[in-house]
Amino acid sequence: MTPANKRDLLPGTLDMLILGTVAVQSMHGYGIAQHIQRLSRDVLRIEEGSLYPALQRMRQKGWIKAQWGQTPNNQRARYYTITPLGQRQLGLQEAGFAELMDAIARVMRPA
Amino acid sequence: MREWLARIVDWFRRDRLDAELREELAFHRTQLERDARATGDDALDAHWVARRRLGNVTRVREESRDRWSVPWFDHLQQDVRYAIRGLRRSPGFALSAIITLGLGIGANAAMFGVIDRLMLRPHAYLREPGRVHRVYLQYKERDRQITRESIEYTRYLDLRRGTTSFSATAAYAHGAQAIGIGEAARERPIAAVSASFFGFFDARPALGRFFLAAEDTTPVGASVAVLDYGVWKSDFGGRNVLGEPIQVGNIKATIIGVAPRGFTGVAEEKAPAVYIPITAYAGNLPGEDGKNYFIHYYWGWMNVMVRRKAGVSLAAANADLTNAYARSWNAERGENRSLEAVSEARPRAVASSLRSAAGPDPGLEARTLVWVSGVAVVVLLIACANVANLFLARALRRRRELALRVALGVSRRRLAAQSFTETVVLSLFGFAAGVAVAQWGGAVLRRLFIGETGSTDVVTDGRTLVVASAASLAAAILTGLAPVFFGLRADVASMLKSGLREGTYQRSRARGALLVAQGALSMVLLVGAGLFVRSLEHVRDKRMGFDADRLLIVRRNLRGADMSDSAQAQLGRRLLATAQSIPGVESAAWISSVPFWTTSAVGVFVPGVPSTRGLGLMTYQQGSTDYFRTMGTRIVRGRGFTADDRVTSPRVAVVSESMARVLWPNATAIGQCMRVGADTMPCTTVVGVAEDVAHVSLAEEAPNRYYLPIEQFRPAAGYAVMLRMRGDPAASAERVRAALQPVMPGQTYVTVRPLSEVVDGERRSWRVGATMFVAFGVLALVVAAVGLYGVVAYNVAQRMQELGVRVALGAQTPDVVRLIVGQGVRFALAGVTLGTVLALFAARWVQPLLYAQSATDVRVFGIVGGVLVVVAIVASGLPARRATRVDPNTVLRAD
Repeated sequence: MTPANKRDLLPGTLDMLILGTVAVQSMHGYGIAQHIQRLSRDVLRIEEGSLYPALQRMRQKGWIKAQWGQTPNNQRARYYTITPLGQRQLGLQEAGFAELMDAIARVMRPA
Repeated sequence: MREWLARIVDWFRRDRLDAELREELAFHRTQLERDARATGDDALDAHWVARRRLGNVTRVREESRDRWSVPWFDHLQQDVRYAIRGLRRSPGFALSAIITLGLGIGANAAMFGVIDRLMLRPHAYLREPGRVHRVYLQYKERDRQITRESIEYTRYLDLRRGTTSFSATAAYAHGAQAIGIGEAARERPIAAVSASFFGFFDARPALGRFFLAAEDTTPVGASVAVLDYGVWKSDFGGRNVLGEPIQVGNIKATIIGVAPRGFTGVAEEKAPAVYIPITAYAGNLPGEDGKNYFIHYYWGWMNVMVRRKAGVSLAAANADLTNAYARSWNAERGENRSLEAVSEARPRAVASSLRSAAGPDPGLEARTLVWVSGVAVVVLLIACANVANLFLARALRRRRELALRVALGVSRRRLAAQSFTETVVLSLFGFAAGVAVAQWGGAVLRRLFIGETGSTDVVTDGRTLVVASAASLAAAILTGLAPVFFGLRADVASMLKSGLREGTYQRSRARGALLVAQGALSMVLLVGAGLFVRSLEHVRDKRMGFDADRLLIVRRNLRGADMSDSAQAQLGRRLLATAQSIPGVESAAWISSVPFWTTSAVGVFVPGVPSTRGLGLMTYQQGSTDYFRTMGTRIVRGRGFTADDRVTSPRVAVVSESMARVLWPNATAIGQCMRVGADTMPCTTVVGVAEDVAHVSLAEEAPNRYYLPIEQFRPAAGYAVMLRMRGDPAASAERVRAALQPVMPGQTYVTVRPLSEVVDGERRSWRVGATMFVAFGVLALVVAAVGLYGVVAYNVAQRMQELGVRVALGAQTPDVVRLIVGQGVRFALAGVTLGTVLALFAARWVQPLLYAQSATDVRVFGIVGGVLVVVAIVASGLPARRATRVDPNTVLRAD
């Protein structure tokens, strides 16, 4: 069921990845999953089982908005767009993440 | 916070969200299928690849669904459904609980409706009612504290000038005046108010304007009138009436405005039909009253209201008022030397409630009413105890089920919430039933207490509804607590292990306590009922000194017509003669005061008695020849009046037994001389002694009263004729009025009323107390009896095995009955004992409300206790009979 090459995400990073993705442009769920997989060169694979509950949660928190729209080949799909609140949240999470990476790097390669 | 809001919003549209998610996932799958096909898989493989990649769709949907569920919301919904299902399953239980609660809640809502209207509710349109007060005057007279609401106009001026605590002061008086001319004239309530009166309200006239200060000036105010909105609509069709004339009493007034809809000023009873300037009312009265009302202090006839300035405390305002009153008292003393000094009388002025029932001297009826409201609360308590008991019984019956659910992992909190929801649902139904009870019963109550005033609708009255829902909530909490506390203590393991037979019969201490409490409260209420009923009997049995049953009062109203004294006397004689000729009239008397309405007194001087002051008030009644026969007042010694007691014959008087005793303790009264009015007057010889009569109030003891032939003493004061009828007086009232009206000249008229109505009014507080206590007491008894029956029946059902064993071992029917009934009686006895203690404790406060009745009457206590025990025997006898039919063979084999 789970792809063999799937890497476990650090806790809390899923939200950041999704926010970062929809910050570029509004996207439907499939698009978000594809986008993350492509950009991470197949290292990060978002499991649908986590993606949709996460989207619901973030919608309720007011970070993203959901709207039904048409795909280029005329299919109905739900598009997610980042909100100003979501932008701020993304900024916070990026800063936190950068700090975390720094810390890990210092531990792994002491200067 | 925001997230929770979103969750609740999502909860409401969860079906749509669900469908959307399904569509979204389907879209995702088709995209994956397309990807798979693009990499070369055939259609079927693609389908499966996509499915595999998508993973567990159901789980996704469930997890998402959790996001738009609100757990407590769901639980609540579940619990409510569960509760309603449970209630539907046992309709008998549900119905009895709802009816019991409904009666309790309804009784409270209805009583609140009455209390609210009599004491609490601010008047419509009144601005900042918390700072508006009525002024009451208090002083000591012969060691008695007197509280007065009626104030002289001169005093009003003194208080207004002498105080600084108030931003506004107004004077007002309510009365009845004939409005209109000729046949269309009707006596209606009116209000005479100062120009400052309307400033107390945020009211704008529906038409025209209110009074100007220039229209309200001494000695005589302008003849202008403001109409009541309802009267404007009904009598004038709502047309532009400004400038039209309206006859108010003897004033020909011009309509200058219409009060807004629902405006009643500060009227306690009916809304006034017309408002006129208070100085116009007083200044137009004929005689002395109309000339010097704003200079002298002899005529207290109006009320004063004040608005406290912001920042002035009530205590400071009262001190300010009291100072002004003391100065005013001294001013009055300047013209009336017989007035006690300030240091003796200690006059105090108090700013208190606009409603006299909530003022410093609320009167017997208002005090009785407060007690009756307390009784309503007790009824609700009993109802709650009963329902709590029913719940406990059910909880006990379901102990195994509850234990099982606990074992299966249902949290105790959840169980408690569930059972609490049940009581809340029940009390909601109880609320509905209560509103219905209040709507129906409240109409009866309000007629009893208030008369027909304004809206009496409970359903549309926010204040009463709020109280009703508060009562329901209290009921829910009280009844809900019991099962929560006692029902869940079950020890899971032992509960599940034990069969029905083991350990199922346990006396429940909680249930027993509730029963005893119910019994005690019922005892208290029934003792109250007994005391008030006895009290009412005493009042009814009391010989008033006259026989009111077949009497009609005819009152003449001169409507301010300027008639000379001799013309007035002539009119009285003509009325009497005409009345005597009306068929059905047994006898008639021309009199100067009507029992409980008016009374007169003048100085009495008796040779050998230094001063009659200090011997108690001496009031007099003037009557024509047939006075004593008409009233039914017995002459104890000597004679009554005869046709020979004329203006020209020697002056005679009849005195009451008490007065004879007080004035001539050691001699016979007959033949004694008394001087009436002044000590220079000629002797009035006492020719007879009459039995004592109640005249000022029913509760009066040994009143001093004397009687003078009306022809010999101020015949012009005879404003009424008393008729003794052969048949029902109420039925012939209109016939009598029609026969007498032609005698009346010009605009003057007569009103006719049975005297029994007046007397009934005097007995009202005792009747109200008796009626309400009996109604609530019986209600409480029935509820408690049902409760006892339920508990005993339940116990019998639980003890079937044990009883079976007893019967098998040789117990006879009487033994079994004794066993069961004994239990019920023990509960009753405990209740009676506790109730007796409570009732004795309350006796001190109830005593003043009773009439010639001790609040600790052993007989009343004994009878009520006996009734309770008998009811307990009956209530437990029914289940006991079932117990005697126990067949040990069947019972012992069951389970």
